[in-house]
Amino acid sequence: MATKTVTVPKTTKEGFNPFKMAQQQFDRIADKLGLDQPTRELLREPLREYHFQIPIRMDDGTMKIFHGFRVQHNDARGPCKGGIRFHPQETIDTVKALAMWMTWKCSVADIPLGGGKGGVICDPHNLSEKEQERICRGWVRQIARDIGPFQDVPAPDVMTSGQHMIWIMDEFQTISHGAFQPGVITGKPVALGGSRGRTEATGYGLVYILREVLKELKMDTTKTTASVQGFGNVARYAAELYTQYGGKVVSVSCWDQNDACSYGFYKKNGVNLEELLKITDRFGTIDKDKAQKLGYQITPGDDWLTHDVDILIPAALEHSITAENVGKISPKVKIMICGANGPVTPEAEDVLDKRGVIVIPDFLANSGGVVCSYFEQVQNNQNYYWTKEEVLGKLDNKMTDAFYHVWDLAQRKKVRISDAAYMIAISRVAEACKMRGWV
Amino acid sequence: MNELKERVKELNCLYGLTKIVKNTKYSVDEALQNIVALIPPAWQFPEITCARISFEGGKEYTTKSFKESKWSQISNIIADEKKIGVLEVYYTEERPLQHEGPFLKEERRLIDAIATLIGQFFEERRVKEELKKKKIAPYVKPISGKKGEDLTRKKQDWEVIIDLLIKTDPRTLLRITRKMTYYLYRHGNEKITDLQNQITPIDSKSTARGINMPNPRTDLKSLVTFQKHVFDIAKESIPSDVISELFQNWLRSDKARPLLLTSQKTGVPLSEIREELTRFMEKTDIETSLSEEDTIGIKTAMIRRFITDRLEYVNVAKSYFELEDFIQLLSNIIGPAQGSGKLGGKSGGIILAEKILRKEMKTDALLKDVDFPRSWYIASDTVAAFVHHNDLDDVFHIKYLDPGEIRQEQPFLEQIFKNAYFPYEIVEGLRGIITAVKDKPIIVRSSSLLEDSYGAAFSGKYKSLFVPNLGSEEERLKALMDAIAEVYASTFGPDPIEYRRERGLLDFNEEMGILVQEVVGTRIGPYYMPSYAGVAFSRNEFRWSPRIRREDGMIRLVPGLGTRAVDRVGNDYPILISPFRPELQVNTLLEERIRYSPRYIDVINMETGLIETVEIEELLRNYGDQIPLFNQIVSVHEQDRLVAPNVMLDISKADLIVTFQNLFDNSDFLPKMKRILSILEEKMGSPVDIEFACDGKTFYFLQCRPQSQSRGMERIPVPKDIPREQKLFSARRFITTGQIDNIEYIVYVSPEAYGALDSREKMLRIARIVGDLNNKLPKRKFILMGPGRWGSRGDIKLGVPVRYADINNTALLVEIAKEKGEYTPELSFGTHFFQDLVEANIRYLPLYPDQPDIIFNEDLLLTAQNRMADFLNGGAQTEPTIRLIKISDIVPGGSLRVIMDGDAGEALAYLKPADHWDWRVQKVKQIAKSLDPELYGIQALYVIGSTKDGGAGPASDIDLLVHFRGTDEQREKLLEWFSTWGKKLDDENKERTGIKTGGLLDIHIVTDEDIKNKTSWAAHLTSPYMTALKVPLEKEPL
Repeated sequence: MATKTVTVPKTTKEGFNPFKMAQQQFDRIADKLGLDQPTRELLREPLREYHFQIPIRMDDGTMKIFHGFRVQHNDARGPCKGGIRFHPQETIDTVKALAMWMTWKCSVADIPLGGGKGGVICDPHNLSEKEQERICRGWVRQIARDIGPFQDVPAPDVMTSGQHMIWIMDEFQTISHGAFQPGVITGKPVALGGSRGRTEATGYGLVYILREVLKELKMDTTKTTASVQGFGNVARYAAELYTQYGGKVVSVSCWDQNDACSYGFYKKNGVNLEELLKITDRFGTIDKDKAQKLGYQITPGDDWLTHDVDILIPAALEHSITAENVGKISPKVKIMICGANGPVTPEAEDVLDKRGVIVIPDFLANSGGVVCSYFEQVQNNQNYYWTKEEVLGKLDNKMTDAFYHVWDLAQRKKVRISDAAYMIAISRVAEACKMRGWV
Repeated sequence: MNELKERVKELNCLYGLTKIVKNTKYSVDEALQNIVALIPPAWQFPEITCARISFEGGKEYTTKSFKESKWSQISNIIADEKKIGVLEVYYTEERPLQHEGPFLKEERRLIDAIATLIGQFFEERRVKEELKKKKIAPYVKPISGKKGEDLTRKKQDWEVIIDLLIKTDPRTLLRITRKMTYYLYRHGNEKITDLQNQITPIDSKSTARGINMPNPRTDLKSLVTFQKHVFDIAKESIPSDVISELFQNWLRSDKARPLLLTSQKTGVPLSEIREELTRFMEKTDIETSLSEEDTIGIKTAMIRRFITDRLEYVNVAKSYFELEDFIQLLSNIIGPAQGSGKLGGKSGGIILAEKILRKEMKTDALLKDVDFPRSWYIASDTVAAFVHHNDLDDVFHIKYLDPGEIRQEQPFLEQIFKNAYFPYEIVEGLRGIITAVKDKPIIVRSSSLLEDSYGAAFSGKYKSLFVPNLGSEEERLKALMDAIAEVYASTFGPDPIEYRRERGLLDFNEEMGILVQEVVGTRIGPYYMPSYAGVAFSRNEFRWSPRIRREDGMIRLVPGLGTRAVDRVGNDYPILISPFRPELQVNTLLEERIRYSPRYIDVINMETGLIETVEIEELLRNYGDQIPLFNQIVSVHEQDRLVAPNVMLDISKADLIVTFQNLFDNSDFLPKMKRILSILEEKMGSPVDIEFACDGKTFYFLQCRPQSQSRGMERIPVPKDIPREQKLFSARRFITTGQIDNIEYIVYVSPEAYGALDSREKMLRIARIVGDLNNKLPKRKFILMGPGRWGSRGDIKLGVPVRYADINNTALLVEIAKEKGEYTPELSFGTHFFQDLVEANIRYLPLYPDQPDIIFNEDLLLTAQNRMADFLNGGAQTEPTIRLIKISDIVPGGSLRVIMDGDAGEALAYLKPADHWDWRVQKVKQIAKSLDPELYGIQALYVIGSTKDGGAGPASDIDLLVHFRGTDEQREKLLEWFSTWGKKLDDENKERTGIKTGGLLDIHIVTDEDIKNKTSWAAHLTSPYMTALKVPLEKEPL
C-alpha cells in the first residue's frame, strides 16, 4: 500500500473525494499485480495537470475570467483521450479521477490511447451561445500546444456537445496555421469528420461481449431472456442486437415525463422493439396506454430487476442495484452486464458474486463508445471514412478481443471479471511505461 | 338634465346676441333680423317657437313661418325711457303648462333681457348716427353706470354679457366670476389675493378658529359685490380683448355641460350617455368649444362610468383617450339600455393598452404591424339583468353556502344558466357581434370587476371560452349565448367564491363584465389557429440565471392557441425567453432543448367545432408547409444540433423541434416585445403582463393587465412585525415575487452533514430518501431545504442528486449557500429542472445564511422533533443527514408562511400561529369563565376534537364535553344556556370568516354513569391518550 500523502487542492478536508476513491481502487489492483513503488507512484497521479485562465469578453461588454484545465493522466500507450466538461463547480479531484478512469478504459479495450479529462468551471445555463463559443476557443488557445491528434484528443462530456467540438476544432486549425486536423477532437457531426455508427456503438459493443459471455457459459442465445433497464440509446441498440441474435428481451423500462416516474414494459413472449419505437416519443417516453393495448404489462419502473430472466442489462441509472434491492433479483439470473456507469454498488456486487452471477463491469461493457471515438480519430487521421458496417465490424473485433483477455485472466486467476478487467488495464499501462523506461 | 340644456340654449342665445350687437358691419335691419332668428333655438321647444320684433313705427322683424297663436310671451322694448316696440314669442302648438302658460320662468327672464338689449342697441345706434351727422366723438350713454364713471368709454361686449347674466342667470355669472378669479390668481394678480383674503381669511390670528373649525360662511349678497370687484380688477389688469376672448371660451365651454353632467351623474343609463355624446360630437367645433379642463373632465367621467374608478388607471387613461374614442367604444358595448354597468378589469386593460400603443405606433416603425382584434364589451350589469330576467335571483346567495354545497350546485347551475334566456336587447346586441364576425371563431373572456377594483388576481378563476362560430346565424348566436351563460355561471363556482372568501371580498356584489374578441388565426387543414401565441411579463418572476434581472422580462410562447402558454399544463412546456436577455436561454443543452420543447398544440377544429390538443409533430408533418411562419417556429434536429430549416428541408423526414429560434434570431419579434413591454410598463406605471397572438402577417395584441394581477404574482410585502423568534429564515438575493402558505412540513438536508458524507452511494441514498418523503408528504404542504445545487449530476457533492420526480410535490425549493472559508458556492437556480419547476409552480429561493442581516434559525431545524419515522420505514428513519420537521410541533396548529417580495428584494419565512384555533381557545376560556357550575350542576368541562388538537379550521366545530351531575331541570337550563352561546359564536365566526356554520358549539353531556360504562363521549375521559383537555372553570365546582 502506498503511503505517500497526496495534496489535493480546492476540496474540503473531509467527506467524499472521488480522486481518493480512484486511488484506493488503483492501490487494491496494484497490490494484486504486485506493482513496484515507482510504477505505483507514477500511475497514482496524472502525468501532467494544466491549469489556466481564460479571459472572456461577455456579451454585455464586461470581462470575466474563467478557470480551465486539462489533466493528462497517462499517454504511455498513445495520445490521451477524454472529455471536456463545462461544470459550474468542477473540482480538480473529479477531473483527475475521471482522467485516470479513462486510462484504464482505453487500456482494457486495448486501443492505443491514454487517459485525459478537462474542462472549464462555468455553467452553460448562465452563458449565451456566443459566450460559450468564446470559452471553447479561449480554452483551445491556452492548451493548443499540448493537445492535438497525436498528443491529447478531447471529446464531448458533461454539458458540451458536437457544436462545442467544432468550435474547438476550428480554433485549433486557425492556431495550427490552417492545417486541417479534425483528429484533434472526437464527437463531431458526421458532416464534419464524425464517425458513422456512433449511435449504435455502445449498445452493440455491449452485446458483442454478451454474445461471447453466453458462448463461454455454453448458453444458447436463442433460449435466453433478458430484462433491460432503460430505453435510451444504449438500451435500445443493445436490445436490438440481442434480439437479432435470437435472444428474447421480456422487459424494457423508460422514464415517463408525464407521470414523472419510470415504468417497465413487460411482455412474456418478448418485446417487439419496432412496435415500441412507433409509440415512443422523441423524448424516449413509451406511450403506456398504447403499449397496454399492444399487450404489454405495465409495471413499476423498479420491477425490471425482478423478472425471471437470464440476463439483466442495467442501462439507465447509476447505483440502481443496491444492497437493499439486490435480494429481489431472480435466482435465474446468470449475467449482469452494465451499460450504465456504476449501476451496481460494491455491496450489491459482493452479493451477486456470492450467488455466482457474472457481472461484466461498466468500463468494459460500455467501452464501445470510446472505441468508436478511436475509430473516428483513425478515420480523421487517414482522411478516409468507413461505412457503418465497417465501423461496427471493426468494433466487434475489438470488443470480442478485449473481452477474451479479461475472461481468460479471470478464469486463470479465479478473480471477478471486474478485477480481471482492472488488472489487465493497469498492467498494460504499467508495461508500456516500463518499455519506455519511465519506471 | 333638461333644465341644464335650457341654460345652455339660453347662453347660446345671449352669446349670439352680443356678437350681433357688437358687429358694426350690420345695418340695424340686418341686426334685428339676425336677433329674431336667435330666439326659437333658445326656447324649450324650438320646432314650434316663432318670434317677432315690432316697433312703434310699424317696422317688423319675424322668424320664418311666423304665426300668431294663443300661447305667447311679450316683453316691451324700451329706449330713452319710453316704449318703442314689443318682442313677442309664440308657441304654435299647445305644450304643458309651466310658469307662464307653457313658458318657463327662465324664458321670461330671457325674453326681458333680450328686449332690454334690443332697446339699448337701438338707442346706441341712434346716438351713433346722430353723432356721425354732427361729426363729433362718439358718446354712449351708460346703461347702468355709476356716477363718475368715464361715460365716454364704450361698453365692452363682455360687460354686456355680465349685465345680461345679472338679470338672467346669476349661477352662470357666479361660475364665470370664479373662473375669472382663478385666472387672475394664476397670473399672480396681487389684488385678487387680497380680495380673497378678505372673504376667506387664510391666516387669521383669531383664536376662536383653529384649523379644525369650519370657515365662516360668506353671504351670497356679498358675493355679488365680490363679483363686481373681481371684474374691476380684471378690467384694470387685463386688456379688454383678452377678457372678451376668455368670456367667449368660457361661455362656449358651457355647451359641454350637459355631456359633462350626463357622464358624471350616477345612474344615467348607457343609452342616454351614448345619445348625448353623439349629439355633442356631431357639432363640429369640439376643439374650440371645449376647454382643456372640461375635456379632461368629460373623459375622466366617461372612464369612471364605463371602465373603472381606480385612480391609477384613470390618471393614465385620461391622457390617452379622445372623446371620439368613446363613441367607438360605446357602440361596441352591449348591456341593458337602462343599465349602468362597467366593463371590468380585463376589458379596461386592453382598451387602455390599445390607446397607448396606437399613439406610439404613429411614430414607431417597429410597431407598424401591431393590431388589435375586433372586440365587444358586455357591461357588468348584464349578468344581473340576465338573472332577474329568468327569476334566478337566489343565485346571488350561493356564495354564502358551504364550499361543499357550492361544488355540488355548480354543474346544475351551469345548466340552468345555459337554459335561461337573455333579455331581448342583449340578444340583439349579441346578434350584432355574430353578424360582424362571420368567418372567425370568437373567444368569450370574463372581465371581473373585483379584479379591477381590488387588485385581486382572479386570472384563471373564471372561465374563458372559445366559440367556433359555425353554422347558421341562429346556431352561432345560440353558441355565443351558451358560452356567456357558462362564464356567468363560473362567477358562482366554488373556486372563485373560495378565493373571495379568503380575501374578504365575499360581500362584494360581483358583476361580471365580458370581453368578446375575434380569435386570431388562419385555417390550416381542418384547424384554425394562430402561428404562435403567448404571454409576456415585463418582470421576470422565474429567473433561470442570476445574470437575468427581474426587469429583463419573460415571454411564454407556444405554437397555436395561447391557452398552453397562459395556463400551466404540467406535462408540456412553452418556450421561455427573456426579451431583454434572449441569449441566456433556459435550456442550453441539446437534450434539454428537445426535452423542454412544446409537444402539443391547441387548435380549434373547424369541422367538429371543438378545441383540440394535437401532437405538434403530427401537425407539422401533415400541414407544416401551410403554417405561416413555419420556418420561424421550428428548428431541425440533425447530427446533434438544432439548425434553422432551409429550402432543402424534407418535412416528412426531418426531426422538427419547436424552438422559435428563427423568430428570435431573424425577426423583429423580440425588439417589438421589448418595446411594447417598456412602453406599457412606463405609461401604465406598473409592471404589466400581456397576451398576444400572430396569424403570420399581423401581430395581435390581446390582453394587458398589471402583472400584480397575474396568477401567483400578486405582491404582498414582507410583514415587518413578526417577532424574531417566529422567523425561520430571511433572504435578500435573487428574490422573485410569490407567497407560499400553510406549509406543514420542512424537509431539511443539513449542509454540514451532507458535506461530510464520504461516498457517492450515501449521497444517492439521500436523494432516494428525499424522493420517498416527496411521495409521502402532503402535496405542496412541505418545503425542501438543502445544500447547494438540488439535482446535481456528476459532482453530486455539490447538492443532493435528486431528479425532478423526487421533488415534484414540494411547494418551495430552498438552496442554502453556506460560505466555505472565503468561498460561497454557486447555486443552481433550479436549472436542472427549471422548466419543470415553472410549470408546476414550484418556487425557488436561494439562501445565503452567512451574509449580513440574514436570519437563518437553523437551531430550530436541528432541535425540533424529527418526524421521519412517521413516514418512512427501515434504516431511512434514522438517517441523520435529513430532518423532517412538523411545524405544528413547534407552534401547535401553526403553519409556515413564506413571503417573497421581488420588488423590495426580500423574502421571509415565518411561523404562523393558527388563528382559527386560537380564536376557539379564547372562546372556550370565555365560556368557562361565565359558566356557573353550581347553578347547572357541573363537575367539569373539557374540550375535545380540533379545538383541543390545534387543527381547527375556519369552519371547525368547538366540541365541549360536560361532566354533568345535576338534575333534569338543570340539564335543560344548561342546554339552553349553551344554545345562546352557540348562536353568538356562529354569528361571530361568520363575521370573522364569512362562513355560515350553524351549530359551531357542540355540547356533549357525560354523566358519571357514562364514565363508569365508558359509553359514547365518555371514552374521551377514560382514554389513556389524553384526547380531552380539562378547562379550568372560574368558580370551583361542587
